[in-house]
Amino acid sequence: MTNGPVQAEAPSIELIMSLQQVLYREARLMDAERYSEWVEMLADDLHYFMPGIETRYRRDKTDQVGDTTRMAYYNDTLDDLKKRLRRLETGTAWSEDPATRYTHLITNIEVELTDQDDQFRVYSNFLAYRNRNERDQDTLIGNREDIWRRKGSSYELLKRTIILKQNVLLSKNLNVYL
Amino acid sequence: MNANLIQKTMGFNHLVDIKEGWVDRRIFCEQDIYEQELYRIFARSWLFVAHDSQIPNPGDFLTTTMGEDGVIVSRQKDGSVKVFLNSCPHRGNKVCFADAGNARRFTCNYHGWSFDSAGSLMGMHEEYCYDPGDIDKSTHGLKQVAHVDSYKGLIFANFDPDARTLEEWLGDFRWYLDILLDNEEGGTELIGGCIKSEINANWKLGVENFIGDAYHAGWTHDSGARAMNNGEPFPAVDMENSFHASVNGHGWEFGLEGMGDLVLLGRPKVIEYYQKIRPDMAKRLGEMRSKIFGSVASASIFPNLSFLPGISTFRQWHPKGPWKFELKTWVIVNKAMPDDIKDEITKGVMQTFGPGGSFEMDDGENWENCTTVNRGVVTRQERLHYRCGINRQVDDHPVLPGLVYRGQYNDANQRNFYQHWVDMMEAPTAKDIPYRWEPKFGGLETRDFPGLDGLEKGGK
Repeated sequence: MTNGPVQAEAPSIELIMSLQQVLYREARLMDAERYSEWVEMLADDLHYFMPGIETRYRRDKTDQVGDTTRMAYYNDTLDDLKKRLRRLETGTAWSEDPATRYTHLITNIEVELTDQDDQFRVYSNFLAYRNRNERDQDTLIGNREDIWRRKGSSYELLKRTIILKQNVLLSKNLNVYL
Repeated sequence: MNANLIQKTMGFNHLVDIKEGWVDRRIFCEQDIYEQELYRIFARSWLFVAHDSQIPNPGDFLTTTMGEDGVIVSRQKDGSVKVFLNSCPHRGNKVCFADAGNARRFTCNYHGWSFDSAGSLMGMHEEYCYDPGDIDKSTHGLKQVAHVDSYKGLIFANFDPDARTLEEWLGDFRWYLDILLDNEEGGTELIGGCIKSEINANWKLGVENFIGDAYHAGWTHDSGARAMNNGEPFPAVDMENSFHASVNGHGWEFGLEGMGDLVLLGRPKVIEYYQKIRPDMAKRLGEMRSKIFGSVASASIFPNLSFLPGISTFRQWHPKGPWKFELKTWVIVNKAMPDDIKDEITKGVMQTFGPGGSFEMDDGENWENCTTVNRGVVTRQERLHYRCGINRQVDDHPVLPGLVYRGQYNDANQRNFYQHWVDMMEAPTAKDIPYRWEPKFGGLETRDFPGLDGLEKGGK
């Protein structure tokens, strides 16, 4: 995750508002498993990335986020992501039937201009809650850093880096997008 | 093994009957049995602790568990590896909190006792508080694991001073392991990092799934197969030309079609690469093993290490009580591969066999339910059916070593896994564990033998 300096030129309220709405809409689509509509929000040249984070000492300079050759939960192009989603469409994804119930809470949204006029860096935090069957549940919390690119009157997701705060994923699977 | 660790014999023979083909469900849930597994199996088995490539340089270390015992695996200046308990002999605190790294010292946060990368006690905070005679530093290092050895990059450790050698432990299973570990010059490495996840299921369910359960794949993973292979279901299994093979509780189930697992990885470039090296693989390992490679296949090394040759997921099931395990997932690749092939494989593995993978996602819930139903005291006394293929043993296969059964849909490797489980639970000492398959390749480099039929000629 980068920490850009406070910019001389701040994004406009309108820009911030419209990107916030995009993130909320995206969360609502994911909550409802409306993945075909979600995919429409993703750029053809998407990079969707969630590295595995090991516990290491502060002095250890291993680049766990920037080095994309290391183990990652997601390190996907749009085609890769579509393949994962195709599983749900088969009708035989047994561990999704009965359906899992999802809620994504998206907070701490921060918008930055970039050196590309049509691209915007958007930071956010997420809490994704899952519950299925009787009492299976888990909560995934972390940060995201996105690049959204203007597309017509809206935006498409070009790049997302997700940092989940768990070292051991405390779940039997990751049938959720963040 | 220290005899007093093996407490009164409980009797375990009645829990498994591989001749009749059943397993008692209590081995998946009862705390008493689990505690004895820790003593009799995990404290006496050769357990995978690291791949050479994870700790290449002096001072490199990683932490892992052997059973529920936390250990540090540490590369020494002379290139050897030491494995010692991650627990200070003073009050027992952990001395290392990282998953991996490089360190000259492991220092306890509690009283500052400090150990070098060999585990020897070097000093402590305010050392003057100890009078002469209070402590002999030379005998208060971190407790060393009795044996450390490796096979073609895989480092194993064993707590039991009386253990058989690693070569005896792996036995003729080495012949199969070469398909994964030695199919190309230079051997293998693990991709950096590790994905860990926690599943509320008994550890044996993961191991037995990989040791022989090809049967579940076509049903459990129908959705994953279709997602990865353009809507196509799992390829049909050729029951004539596919096998289970078991040695010392380890097992490998496989076809001979050469392509099934490669296709499921969903990466055309990787298939191209393997097809390019396959002729050399055939020269290196013989015709049979070059056909096994890439086929629909899965394997486990007793007690808790598993992998899919061809798909390249490599994983260990760490027990956390009878009701829970922690799964560590890595990607294993050949060192000689170009970077873009390694990268393709890594992405393919995490797309199929990571926690968010299109296959893996459907396993966890099955294993959890197979475990949690046993909370019911009536349910847990019901026996489970393991008879599939019980009459399909192939005696004297000319090429394949081990206890060989025909037909990939089979419970044979699972039965032999549980037989070895009973053998270890019952054996007073490691030397008493019976060989169900007498080793034929003892002391030999298995890579050099295309199969059992090459033994008389002394290899290629």
